[in-house]
Amino acid sequence: MSNGGTPLAQARALYRVDSELAAPPELADPDTLLNAFHPDHLRSSVVKLAVGANAGENCQRELAQQLQAEAFIDEADLAGAPVTDTDVLIIGGGGAGCAAALAAAGRGARVLLVTKLRLGDSNTVMAEGGIQAAIEPDDSIQRHIQDTLRGGHHAGDPELVSAMAQDGPEVIRWLIEEGMQFEQTASGDLHTRKAGGMSAARIMHCRDYTGLEMMRVLREAVIQHRGIEVWEHSPAVELLSNERGQKCVGAVFTSLLDGRFRIVRTHSVILATGGLGRLHLNNFPTSNHLGATGDGLVLAYRIGAQLRDLDSFQYHPTGLVHPPYLSGKLVTEGVRAAGALMLNAAGQRFVDELLPRDIVCAAILRECAEGRGIRVDDGRVGVWLDTPRLERSQPGMLERQFPKLLARTQMSGIDPRSEPLLIHPTLHYQNGGVVIDVNGATTVPGLFAVGELAGGIHGRNRIMGNALLDIISFGRRAGVAAISEHDRGPKKVTLEHVNQARRALTLAGMPLTQRAPQILPDYAAKGIWNR
Amino acid sequence: MTSTPAAATGDSQPAVNLTINGIAVAARPAMTLVEAAWHGGVPRVTGVSCLESVCGSCRVLLRRGKEVTVDLACQTFVEEGIEAVFLPPQATPKHHYEISEFTDSWNNLARFHEIFPEASHCRHCHGCVRSCPKGIDVESAINLAAAGHFRDAGEMFLECVMCDLCDSACPEQIAPAHVGLFCRRVSAHFRLRPPNLIQRLEEQRKERLLGQASPDSHE
Ligand SMILES: Cc1cc2nc3c(=O)[nH]c(=O)nc-3n(C[C@H](O)[C@H](O)[C@H](O)COP(=O)(O)OP(=O)(O)OC[C@H]3O[C@@H](n4cnc5c(N)ncnc54)[C@H](O)[C@@H]3O)c2cc1C
Ligand code: SF4
Ligand code: SF4
Repeated sequence: MSNGGTPLAQARALYRVDSELAAPPELADPDTLLNAFHPDHLRSSVVKLAVGANAGENCQRELAQQLQAEAFIDEADLAGAPVTDTDVLIIGGGGAGCAAALAAAGRGARVLLVTKLRLGDSNTVMAEGGIQAAIEPDDSIQRHIQDTLRGGHHAGDPELVSAMAQDGPEVIRWLIEEGMQFEQTASGDLHTRKAGGMSAARIMHCRDYTGLEMMRVLREAVIQHRGIEVWEHSPAVELLSNERGQKCVGAVFTSLLDGRFRIVRTHSVILATGGLGRLHLNNFPTSNHLGATGDGLVLAYRIGAQLRDLDSFQYHPTGLVHPPYLSGKLVTEGVRAAGALMLNAAGQRFVDELLPRDIVCAAILRECAEGRGIRVDDGRVGVWLDTPRLERSQPGMLERQFPKLLARTQMSGIDPRSEPLLIHPTLHYQNGGVVIDVNGATTVPGLFAVGELAGGIHGRNRIMGNALLDIISFGRRAGVAAISEHDRGPKKVTLEHVNQARRALTLAGMPLTQRAPQILPDYAAKGIWNR
Repeated sequence: MTSTPAAATGDSQPAVNLTINGIAVAARPAMTLVEAAWHGGVPRVTGVSCLESVCGSCRVLLRRGKEVTVDLACQTFVEEGIEAVFLPPQATPKHHYEISEFTDSWNNLARFHEIFPEASHCRHCHGCVRSCPKGIDVESAINLAAAGHFRDAGEMFLECVMCDLCDSACPEQIAPAHVGLFCRRVSAHFRLRPPNLIQRLEEQRKERLLGQASPDSHE
């Protein structure tokens, strides 16, 4: 990732808050920049899948290794494992999983929600910016649809986008009924903001704690609901199929606490396991929570589900490099929107900071690769986000508008008001995922997928605020659809799909050495299990 | 595998020696307790998730000499000689309610005391306030709630990260964190009626009616 660069201490000494700045160089050809520096475009980062429903299609390299890996368990592990029956099984306790659970339980189903960490430990809880819905008089559902499709480079599925945008206002109402608060104007309207790629103000928020507010309300609603049972610290390690390996009829869980396996039988499984930042694709840091290891993609693919856009990820331009313990954590886009500039080690601007995320990322990566970055002791490189200059032009603004950022960095003795922040692009969001219909149903009977795990809504690029809407919209849709599966449930649960996947791997001459899903990054998995 | 030799930190700065879950760890300065636990190979640290102190999972008990406190491990830095123990999650609360069953908001205060009968028994012991890693004045908020000031009480919990450390500390088992959420939820549920949202919902309802009435509609 590095090619020289100026040592941090030296770059700090060089930095002047009042230096004269020239405008950044004109960006002649964004495509050349993207092709040369954006991680999605790196030749070495994409391979063709050899087995499974997407065989022959492009996939990011490290993700492909996960998708084409051997299962965690085989039949022998299931002997003697206790069995639980439920109407609807939900895997994943973030926003999407909780919304699905509440929708299904609200219609009288017996719901079991099983999650890897604690209920609510998720990407949802970290979202700051807000949630989209077209509610302003000068806005319309149609415009929301158009903005989303355009933002996604017209790769999204119009039917899914339309369903989500239509649901928008009702989703906000439902969240309020569950007890979520939003910022209001003096006259009581919901306060809305406009962000990149939007033709009208459409982002609603609760200060810069929107995800936290959403998650704690949904978590509490789930805990309080009599129809929902929750198992925590219980990651899914495999799905279960019928004797022909063609229908999903349950799942196998392990326990992070005692390592025992448990079997759940059901007629509908809703996967809501979120994203994969913690796979650290292309060696990038990530903004994601520790459990975002792409498990759902692996499980869905192994049982035969079709996936899409597996070579498209969102890298957020401003992830922190320093302090090390916050590596990869986000500095919200709002700081650039408020006017913060970016500088290389020589104190020069190198790109218009408000261009689309992928272009800004590529420009930062170019500075780092060509030796104009700032290097910390362990060799990682970044560029400056010039927060002191912003503070100087608008005194007090950082404290007023970005309290969470100040609190976070000041703990380690860095004050963004007097010292620029060192930043580098960070792996942020999985654009693609499992192919679904408007009810969240996958191509495998009995299996639903919702939330960041699902693909097709955001095309090849997600615009801000649409993820929080998508998880509730499709979460609730899947919760309702899952209970109308009238099949009386499985007679026999098997690992037939695992055997079939293993045969396919052997036939394709693939090694059976790696096992997946990952469940926790290696650096955090000490003593939890042996694979 | 039970201890890490001090030399293993592999750099020139002197190591910070501490124990985590009873295991000796030689950490680098400026590491958080989470990083130190990983660095020192402390097994079975499972209560970690967001790493930016918003999920409230990584509850730790800290012992510095005779002083005992609690905090979140991802926002606590290593110190020489400190003993840290990761705490298990708090048991699910015994208080139960479903917000959809609330109909008449005039009864909210009565319902509140039915659901949280202990809330009026606060001993003003400050246990909750001392425990809160977000510096929330939990005790005052509980007393506001018991007097029916749900909106003001709820507002005080804006930065609450659901760590339940206050619940663990409360000798009266008031479950302050859940009281806080109750206050926030009833405030939104009964008071938030935004005209711009309602207007759009109404338009959509009319469109649906029209759609159903017209013979060539699709759905
Ligand atoms: C820092 C940050 C800021 C963001 N800001 C915004 C924003 O402002 N607006 C916006 O719209 N979007 C934002 N996003 C994106 C958005 O938050 C997420 O895409 C969305 O919340 C994902 O919800 P989810 O329910 O699908 O997944 P998550 O919320 O991640 O939940 C997934 C759950 O599944 C569990 N799980 C994973 N694997 C397993 C397994 N094997 N077995 C059992 N359980 C498992 C996880 O532990 C977790 O609880 C942001 C994301 C991040 C990381
Ligand atoms: S109020 Fe209680 S649950 Fe909330 S952050 Fe403080 S101690 Fe944790
Ligand atoms: S810990 Fe409980 S009893 Fe003590 S002050 Fe807080 S709420 Fe009151």
